[in-house]
Amino acid sequence: MKKTHLNPLKLLIPIFCAAVALYSQAQETDWSKELQKADGKTLRVIMIQDPWVKGFDTIDKEFQKLTGAEVVVDSYSYDDLHQKEVLMGNNKSDSYDVVVLDSPWVGEFQQGGYVENLKPSLEKDAKIVQWDDFVATFRQVADWKGSIIGVPFGAYFVLFNYRADLFKEAGLSPAKTIEDLKTAAKTFTNNPKFPGGYGIGMNNQRGSAVGQAYFEYIYNFGGKPFASMYPGSADPYADMTPQFTSPQSIEVVQFFKDLLQNEPPGALNMAWDQRANAFATGRLSMACLWSVREPLLEDPSRSKVNGKFGTSVFPTKEGTKPVPPLGGWVMGINTASKQKDLAWDYIKWFTSPETHKKFVLLGGPPSRISTMQDPDVLKKSPWIQTVFESQSQTFADCRPRIPESFQIIDKVGLHVSEALQGQVSIEAAMKQANEEIGALLKKAGYKVSDTP
Amino acid sequence: MIAADTRISESEVVMARSLGKFLARKSDISLGFLPGFDFGWRRFFRHPATPFLLPAVIYLFALTIYPFFYSLGTSLLNFSLTSPRPPTFAGLSNYKNLFLDDLFFTALLNTGLITVASVVIEFIIGFSIAHLFIAIADIRASHLLRTVFILPMMVTPVVVGLLWSYILDPLFGIMNFLLSLVGIPAQPWFSDANTALWAIVFVNVWQWSPFLMLICLAALVSIPRDLYEAARIDGARWYQIVMRIELPLVRNTVLVGIIFRIIDNFRMFDIVFASTRGGPGRSTEVISLYAYRQIFQYFNAGYGAAAAVVVLLIAMIITTVAAKLLQSEAYHA
Repeated sequence: MKKTHLNPLKLLIPIFCAAVALYSQAQETDWSKELQKADGKTLRVIMIQDPWVKGFDTIDKEFQKLTGAEVVVDSYSYDDLHQKEVLMGNNKSDSYDVVVLDSPWVGEFQQGGYVENLKPSLEKDAKIVQWDDFVATFRQVADWKGSIIGVPFGAYFVLFNYRADLFKEAGLSPAKTIEDLKTAAKTFTNNPKFPGGYGIGMNNQRGSAVGQAYFEYIYNFGGKPFASMYPGSADPYADMTPQFTSPQSIEVVQFFKDLLQNEPPGALNMAWDQRANAFATGRLSMACLWSVREPLLEDPSRSKVNGKFGTSVFPTKEGTKPVPPLGGWVMGINTASKQKDLAWDYIKWFTSPETHKKFVLLGGPPSRISTMQDPDVLKKSPWIQTVFESQSQTFADCRPRIPESFQIIDKVGLHVSEALQGQVSIEAAMKQANEEIGALLKKAGYKVSDTP
Repeated sequence: MIAADTRISESEVVMARSLGKFLARKSDISLGFLPGFDFGWRRFFRHPATPFLLPAVIYLFALTIYPFFYSLGTSLLNFSLTSPRPPTFAGLSNYKNLFLDDLFFTALLNTGLITVASVVIEFIIGFSIAHLFIAIADIRASHLLRTVFILPMMVTPVVVGLLWSYILDPLFGIMNFLLSLVGIPAQPWFSDANTALWAIVFVNVWQWSPFLMLICLAALVSIPRDLYEAARIDGARWYQIVMRIELPLVRNTVLVGIIFRIIDNFRMFDIVFASTRGGPGRSTEVISLYAYRQIFQYFNAGYGAAAAVVVLLIAMIITTVAAKLLQSEAYHA
């Protein structure tokens, strides 16, 4: 894989982090003292069915050796997981002890009282957890109104993936701007020099897919979805007046629509899996993918582009500060669990620097700065260097983290999809999104001005 | 082999009567607040068959009647599963909002279109294939062919949805590859608003035509052969036989199958969920998916329950009309 260039100014950070990592390794935790014995007990974990889940099977055996407790992991698809966890929380069910939740659900789970506030536990075990070693914005993601909802273990970043071999042949550099991306997309579509390929694949499927894609791009076009929601905002939820009719918002949807000409057939029904598979099979020259897909691309048994692709930071509009999309998973404790101590032992052990490194080497998403700069990790997965470059520019609230976020994203997804399909104009679609989401937020008690 | 004795012994009759009397006494107590008002409960509880009916009654109450009234009650509440606030009475506002939501009407329209198109095509295919199977009844392989033909019916709908979304994938699917071999350009199938709904109908028809074929086959083989012979002697053409003999005689049987299919189509969820999720845009939004999204994704239990109640009412109206139609046909017959 082509290596990306590192800004020399940022060299100091990895040196510092490497020093922290070395220091941490030198002082490895004596787990026999830190973990309580739990022979014969079973700890149940509910989580997303993402590619790294099998890494848990290997790692959890170590926990069983240390404590005697068996760890059972049940994984579900995205929508199913959300549904099961919310219903479990509402019913005060103790069927799972450890709850893995996505960043936009944080507010919903805290307000619903579904998960414990882990702040006291983190303070008690500060030396083991090393909270400051986690990506700064991801620490903010886990924090809702002063409560720590979960410990980060699966931070995702959207990376710009490109076919380094084709870009070299075409004399193009990796797209840094939206304009570069458009040019490259045109270059690789219907070009006899690059037969059978398409420029790019986007998440256009109605619902969460295109709804989330909108939130990935809006900040990189210099826009914002809600009046107070932008990087650097003191309180992103202070004024929730929707801004879906802003010029930047219209521009994002127009960009999606323009790109359809450079996408493969069936692009309007394309979501995360189809997009990654199309890139892995060599049909696309570019794809902005969540970093969790990178292990697929570098697996020669499943990817035709292994050794042929490169990664760089998510492109942004000329003159706009890049805001690479951030997402991912945190581990919390079910409020109704009867094994909270065992659950905390598991979380602090699993997210500790040493176990996290093992998890990342097994294909898990890196969430600690020290892990991102670990030589063993970088040797195995060079794309993690791009993750490291992206992490400092991310925005914790790039997707809203309130209980209504699922509905907001779905509504945006419906109206953007209609606009892409040409059923309505972009302006009309976004006006309807603005009205519906404004009414929803107003009803839920947020500050929404009548005229956005 | 000794045949099982299915007769009811005298002691069992005595036991049943005792239980009936006990329940009747209990019912007298519980209905005491309604003097002179007879629901027929007493007669019901005194009847010797009551203890044998009770499991079915309890089952019906627990799984049908109670959930219906619970949904009805929930539909009158402002009830969000994720809100820390307790549910509040909303009156008919959920119903009002439902009828103001154009997405709900789109879902209703799409469901109606899918239902009409699917049932008509399924009937035509089912009726034709049933004829084919009658024609080849003497061939030894006909039983095997019949089994193969009904296989799609046995596959779980969500698997059918996933299977066809792979087959009809415009980029990697085998269907477009096969079409390209005969010079037909690639079709967008599920990914275009103009074709997605028809792709759903196509998959639905593929799965459920065998059901109507089985019903048509059963009805067709029960038509007396001498009617066909008489028609042929009178010089009737094939379409006259179909229109004047077969369709009138299979109508009652086939109507039952059609009612089942209408109800099934009104509940259609899995195929749409697995293939398009209601998109592109709102082109394949159906009412079950709409209600599911409200309840299980947005957790608006009150609003979702209102949608479910409306769907149930529509299904009930269609079933009642169809049942009346059946009864009148039976009467005329």
